[in-house]
Amino acid sequence: MGILPDEIKPAMQGVIPSHVVTCSGDGTPNASAISQVYYVDPDHVALSHQFFNKTVRNVRENPRATAWLISPATFDAWNLELEYDHSETSGPIFDTMDMQIEAIASMVGMKGIFKLRAADIYRVVTVTKNVGERIPLPDIAAPAARR
Amino acid sequence: MIPDKVVQVLQGPAFVQVGTRNAQLRPAHAVAVGVIAHADRETVTFIVPEGRSARILSDLQDNGRVALGIALVSHEAYQLKGTYLSSRPAGDEDIALQEAYRANLYAAARQAGFPDEIARPLTLGFVYRPGVAIIFRVEEIFLQTPGPGAGNKMA
Repeated sequence: MGILPDEIKPAMQGVIPSHVVTCSGDGTPNASAISQVYYVDPDHVALSHQFFNKTVRNVRENPRATAWLISPATFDAWNLELEYDHSETSGPIFDTMDMQIEAIASMVGMKGIFKLRAADIYRVVTVTKNVGERIPLPDIAAPAARR
Repeated sequence: MIPDKVVQVLQGPAFVQVGTRNAQLRPAHAVAVGVIAHADRETVTFIVPEGRSARILSDLQDNGRVALGIALVSHEAYQLKGTYLSSRPAGDEDIALQEAYRANLYAAARQAGFPDEIARPLTLGFVYRPGVAIIFRVEEIFLQTPGPGAGNKMA
């Protein structure tokens, strides 16, 4: 039985960047923004590997990662505990992610900078909806900028 | 020493993410609201909501390792890594700083073209008080603006 609830799917469309924290083999954490956490199946997600960055190096030393996602529809946020499984450089997951990364890049003015090198597939270990961390929308007044 | 440009970004308005890890090398994440770059150019304070502070403080008391990601609305981004020094409950001055930080982040998001229905909940919608102020010594700084230079060490 899968553990990713349907209600998390809007948070996986790349509208609002997600964040991923990994840790090197020597114990140094790394916090990084990521264009999209891609839904693979109820137990797996894929993270885009665009540059040979610290996240990619870390999960090959220590497979544990945590991702933070936020829904652009409800602004509910989730934390996913993940474990790196394998990397794909072709196939349907790669092709779909490649197209979506292109679309996101175009939307945020990063066309030509975002380029998918691989889809890194992770097993979902736990899913936690962050309850009590949001101020209800009607209570949020738009303030004036100040210093 | 933290470069001028990074001090400026730390002063905000920026989106701020915290990364720590436990004794089993399992990472943890928290959103921070408000950052203080201290005059010594070596220490930084960030403020996390109390509700998220238990795991972060537990990790920091275990091993002291912390990563702080800061990103402007323009996507310019940096990551600071270092060692935990201390923590304290956020006080009135911290809350005033947080409120200015949030207001300026909202204004920056609107100026960058975010519609109000996204900008308002994204920049103002996180519970931020009561908060815990966490101080750490910065030991490494990395460029994290998306692109081939992302991950390059600056200091």
